[in-house]
Amino acid sequence: MADPTRRALIAAAAALPLVAVSGCNGVNVLASPPRQAADVGLLQAAIGAEQLLVTQYAAVLRGLTGSGAGASAALAAALEPLLGQHRAHLAELRSRLIVPGGSASPSPAARATRAPAVPAAPAAAVAFLRAAEQATAAAMLGRLPGASASLAQLFASISASEATHVPALDDALRDVPGRAGA
Amino acid sequence: MTEPGATGALQGALAAEHAAVYGYGVVGAYLTGASRATAAADWVAHQNARDELEAMLRSRGSQPGPAAIAYQLPIPVRTSGQAVSLAVILEERIATAYLGLVALSTPALRELGALQVRQSALRAAFWRGSTVAFPGLTAAALAAPRRNPALGRQS
Repeated sequence: MADPTRRALIAAAAALPLVAVSGCNGVNVLASPPRQAADVGLLQAAIGAEQLLVTQYAAVLRGLTGSGAGASAALAAALEPLLGQHRAHLAELRSRLIVPGGSASPSPAARATRAPAVPAAPAAAVAFLRAAEQATAAAMLGRLPGASASLAQLFASISASEATHVPALDDALRDVPGRAGA
Repeated sequence: MTEPGATGALQGALAAEHAAVYGYGVVGAYLTGASRATAAADWVAHQNARDELEAMLRSRGSQPGPAAIAYQLPIPVRTSGQAVSLAVILEERIATAYLGLVALSTPALRELGALQVRQSALRAAFWRGSTVAFPGLTAAALAAPRRNPALGRQS
């Protein structure tokens, strides 16, 4: 349990900046380093979830590109920025877990790299991503209670971003002409 | 009972809500039709959030901070496009302010903060017409803690 790698991870998670947003209580960067060990587990779970979402978006986009139709191209163009934001989530989450010596963490992230099965029809694929966004956003909120202040802010922001992807996906689907195949 | 920092974070969120209530009044004045109706709904949402924060502060024995008489707008607003841009700015600041509640360890306050960050992000995405990766965690939010209710706060 308390091997050097784990201790280094814990130290990395503890050394994070806290966004100073409220008024006069000039934020307590040095105050109460809370539950770092919990942070590592929460971070790994969040990284795994984002990694899965990235692979799901990528798989859907591969399917749309393969089908080549104009409507699919328009849908793909709408999905690309959402995928880009998930990649940003993933990068930010990963940046908060520093693994010494370049040894990759054998965490949920590793398991999620297999190409996931996604529906082929555009409408069904978007519905699939919509459900995935909702589930990921909810799970991200579920990680708030045990997280340190800084990580809780990141989780809340990422969850909010994912919540905005749901109406964005609805709009993307609405803009696809003749949306059959759901 | 009250966690250290909770009152400050609640006051910070309240200050942002006061500014949003003022700002949405300007936003709505430059919009018509469905956009104006959306601005009116958002204006009400911010009034309700303001009222909730004031009640929470009073229940903790704190005097809620007052709204300013007037606010300097962060951008000039003369057109509907500028009004929409103002709405986006207001929501980004709201999201940042509520992240101050998320930083608290009291579960109910953290949960309220997260809920409001989400609601703000949804409103911002509507006005912006696109989504962002980190609502409330903008470079501007990182740069300057809010200290007064002025919309045009600059550090």
